[in-house]
Amino acid sequence: MCFSDAAELRSKHRICGTLSGTLPHLTQQNFFLGLPLLLMPEEVVLLVENEVAVLVDDTTSVGEPSSAELAEWDEVRKQQVSKEIALWHERDSARAALEITTGKGKGRLSEEAVQKRKERQERKAREVPRELTLDGESVPKEIALDAQAETHSQPNYTVHIPSTSLSHAWYRPSIYEDLHSASHAGLWTYPRTPEEVASCRVFRDLWEKGHFLGSGLKFGGDFLVYPGDPLRYHSHFVASVLTFPTSPIRPMEVVAHGRLGTATKKAHLLCSWDGGKQEVTYFSIEWAGFG
Amino acid sequence: MDSHPSHSTLLPHITKYPHLAGCVFQVYNDILHAQRWEDLETLALPTCGRIVLKGTRPETKTVHIIMPCNLTESLSLNWLSSVFGELVETSEIYLAIVSDDSSIVYYRVSKGIVKPPS
Repeated sequence: MCFSDAAELRSKHRICGTLSGTLPHLTQQNFFLGLPLLLMPEEVVLLVENEVAVLVDDTTSVGEPSSAELAEWDEVRKQQVSKEIALWHERDSARAALEITTGKGKGRLSEEAVQKRKERQERKAREVPRELTLDGESVPKEIALDAQAETHSQPNYTVHIPSTSLSHAWYRPSIYEDLHSASHAGLWTYPRTPEEVASCRVFRDLWEKGHFLGSGLKFGGDFLVYPGDPLRYHSHFVASVLTFPTSPIRPMEVVAHGRLGTATKKAHLLCSWDGGKQEVTYFSIEWAGFG
Repeated sequence: MDSHPSHSTLLPHITKYPHLAGCVFQVYNDILHAQRWEDLETLALPTCGRIVLKGTRPETKTVHIIMPCNLTESLSLNWLSSVFGELVETSEIYLAIVSDDSSIVYYRVSKGIVKPPS
């Protein structure tokens, strides 16, 4: 998925998911997050049912590349590398030219210094590298021939690792366009139990009413219900799903849900799916404010 | 309990639903004397087998229904639906939850998705 897909899911379909990618150089933080976007199972079910998304079995989608495909991939990669090196050389000579014409700059070497450095590097390349043995003797160091050749300055280049397999010719996705076929293939079997069904139905009903929904974990519920995009609004409700309208609730749960909701300026929503009437029943719980 | 001034008022209802006598008694006295509600009356809901109180909240001068229940009871959404079904024009009630040490906590339960006032 590219970022525009994630943006479209949010803006066009009111599905936010959770960004779970962190930064390579700052992994221990959760403020700046990027792709991949993690979806709740209820979100997946809704998107597939609405024919907005399909399910892909990634494990069976990556085939064996043919030698022709591999050769082409290698060729493209080599071209990318040489392009990068060529660009580096261009920039390096442009920079060197600038140094010579403008003389001393911040931390830049003068023409003499550049020449001296070149002579020093050439001298080092001719020298036989030595190392100390355990007896304290200085003996010639054994270096492989390639390494010797590379002691001359060789620009670094970036190795690009694609985050999806979509660009490879040997990627042939196994696509399932509906939940039934995906379940049959054993790829996606949610929802299965009455609890899971109730959860999906409540999620869909709240979504159809125009809300944005998120995970309720941080507030002790199943979902957070937002009146608009979570980037702009705080949630008004924490929703809990009861499997059946006859499922028992203890008054203690009413107290716990109600008190937490009120402390966070939210109301608690008790929701249940009635399979017989095919409808969701809602009750809102809030602390009374007295007593 | 029978020497208490509220006893005679509550007697007809708690005789019908003796298992609710304790929580109704506690809530009635709390609402009347501590919370100081006005025009307090006791009503029976025969279909759900419960007793509710109806009175006027002093701060807002609005009329509300209070449903006493015990902490140990088991409720369900169907049960809540039947309560609202019997109280026809009502869209919200106060659930008064009484525990063994006579502490009472009140929670507003509204039918449907009702935004918190903020």
